[in-house]
Amino acid sequence: MPQVKIIAKNFMDMVASLPAIKLDLLYRNQFICEAILRSLPPLAKKYVLQMLYIDIPITSKSLQEWLLADGSSKHKVAIDRLIQLRVFEVIDRKKETTYKLNSTFQTNLRKHMISGGILPREPMPQSVTARLPTSEELDAYAHEQWECFLLQLISSGQAEKSTSFSSSMMRIFQRGLLRQRDKEAPRLTESGFQFLLMDTNAQLWYIIREYISNSEEQGVDQADLIGFLLELSFHTPGEAYSLDTLTDDQTTMIKDLADLGLVKLQKGRKESWFIPTKLATNLSVSLTDSSSRKQGFVVVETNFRMYAYSSSKLHCEILRLFARVEYQLPNLIVGAITKESLYNAFENGITAEQIVTFLQQNAHPRVAAKIPSVPENVTDQIRLWETDLNRVEMTPAHFYDEFPSRDVFEAASDFARMHNGLLWEDAKKMRMVVKAEIHMLMREHLRGQNK
Amino acid sequence: MASAPSKLYADDVSLVVVLLDTNPFFWSSSSLSFSQFLSHVLAFLNAILTLNQLNQVVVIATGYNSCDYVFDSSSDLNRSFENGRMPVMCSSLLQKLEEFLIKDEQLSKEEPEGKIKSSLFSGSLSMALCYIQRVFRSGALYPHPRILCLQGSPDGPEQYVAIMNAIFSAQRSSVPIDSCYLGSQNSAFLQQASYITGGVHHKPQNLDGLFQYLMTIFATDLHSRSFIHLPKPVGVDFRASCFCHKNTIDMGYICSVCLSIFCKHHKKCSTCGSVFGQAQSEVASASDKKRKTPET
Repeated sequence: MPQVKIIAKNFMDMVASLPAIKLDLLYRNQFICEAILRSLPPLAKKYVLQMLYIDIPITSKSLQEWLLADGSSKHKVAIDRLIQLRVFEVIDRKKETTYKLNSTFQTNLRKHMISGGILPREPMPQSVTARLPTSEELDAYAHEQWECFLLQLISSGQAEKSTSFSSSMMRIFQRGLLRQRDKEAPRLTESGFQFLLMDTNAQLWYIIREYISNSEEQGVDQADLIGFLLELSFHTPGEAYSLDTLTDDQTTMIKDLADLGLVKLQKGRKESWFIPTKLATNLSVSLTDSSSRKQGFVVVETNFRMYAYSSSKLHCEILRLFARVEYQLPNLIVGAITKESLYNAFENGITAEQIVTFLQQNAHPRVAAKIPSVPENVTDQIRLWETDLNRVEMTPAHFYDEFPSRDVFEAASDFARMHNGLLWEDAKKMRMVVKAEIHMLMREHLRGQNK
Repeated sequence: MASAPSKLYADDVSLVVVLLDTNPFFWSSSSLSFSQFLSHVLAFLNAILTLNQLNQVVVIATGYNSCDYVFDSSSDLNRSFENGRMPVMCSSLLQKLEEFLIKDEQLSKEEPEGKIKSSLFSGSLSMALCYIQRVFRSGALYPHPRILCLQGSPDGPEQYVAIMNAIFSAQRSSVPIDSCYLGSQNSAFLQQASYITGGVHHKPQNLDGLFQYLMTIFATDLHSRSFIHLPKPVGVDFRASCFCHKNTIDMGYICSVCLSIFCKHHKKCSTCGSVFGQAQSEVASASDKKRKTPET
């Protein structure tokens, strides 16, 4: 069910699934090598560093010698990742598996370590660009763009100004998030709700992913796009870069990225330039990181009342998903978490855990300092209401009856009990219900008895 | 210093404070020239910064008479160039280092005679700890801090008390001190520092391959250390220096009140003022005082 989350977290899986030739091409770009290195699990990073200046293949045995006993699972994850991304080349010699660093990757990283990185492109001089927005302005801009995009995504009518994404593009983003029954207003799906409750970075990756896989259909090379996106994350936020340095594909793309709030486009007298925002530079930061944590705005009281200090429509929409919004003041949304509003949310596929995490992650700084940031009685009640709905447990099962004799019946029920699969039996009428998992075993057992 | 886990970044984000030994007396006699050494270290710093966007590096130069910050990857000046421009980072580091060396040289007017030509390790260690404390208290999220000492000069016994105090305060705030000793003899201070704080101590056999040593051992983040074999101390030199003449001693007298160490019998403790009784022959056997190191 939480399909969206998995997709959003593993952007590098997408990189890994590129064909080998394209990956090798990608590794010609220093920034991509750096971004890939940063995305690796810590142990894998260490292996890469260790082998950076080793030209001969290393046996997997000698790598394992570095490990303590309890590190073997981490080791496996690291090695798998490295092979998947083709950072490690596997050479099988006789009985031993040996690894070698991808040579393009290796040369580029070496270059980076020794001479230091270079900028992807030179920022434009101050004299041309005159006044650039301050980082606060830029953050505000990025935030506004992104929120506007999200609003448009979930309810096309609500957004104040529309982004320039074509409606077909929008529909692609909405695919999976919204569900439209004929002639009804579109409704959010389960994954749509989950999407809204994710943090910005995860949402961003989800959209970017959709964007990339869509552009593939339109004949733009996927590897190019990924390369450009990763490169973009190495630009300095707040500096201006000339649009002339981009290729045609990149120019079309950057306009779309501006709609998402990743870059801000500006025009001077002659030239035009783009300014990357923090959203863009955070792209290469590992996704599990909460470093982009925003300041919270929600205060929940023990009486289930909720005060959200926000003027954003999007926040209001999100809160409406699981709470009853009572009134809205210019900078404050007041609501209450009620049983009905929560049942509504559960029906839509939001879990109690998600709601609780959302409330905790977005707790107002005043209450975030307290432990717990959301009153315990509220979180407990939310969970209790959810379990109320799950009183019936479903287990796939098979029903057996018409046993030839009591002996066969008893043997069968013992057999089922032995395998922990007996759910119900009626000894008088010789009937029983057995879990579906052991149905095959059961059948063989009964067949054996018949002979 | 209680550090709430919620204030930490992800596991593998680290703040590395590198203490760079710039003692001219050592480098003039070393097999590895200072410029070679610097190129190894710069590449290592690059690597640390490359590993994670949030990683931070601070370099403190340990001179003969003074010590100073020469590089801070998080300072505003460097941020405006950010990671894309490593050459700028190098040049700013080198420039600051040069200024520092000139200042340091001016401070040493008279040529010391007969003294051990050690560098001001206690000073730079304290500066590193101060920096880390500031990061702890800055309120925002902070990375896992650790200190790496690249030391070549011999130990200065007169710094014993200051260094031990710094080590214990590092231990209290659970900051591991890694040490890489580049000189010919081994350093008791560094061994003790790493042993007490749970860091790694290593003395590279072949200094030409310093970069590889740095990468394989000292680039390991604190999170990965729990499942990787790192050099273990074979034997740690626990010798202490006496408070009266700053000599390194194996056996001595210890004040039963404040644990001060003396090489000779005194009538009165110079630290806490306690009056001692007559020295008896068996008192001298109280050589255990050097074990004041708590269990780690």
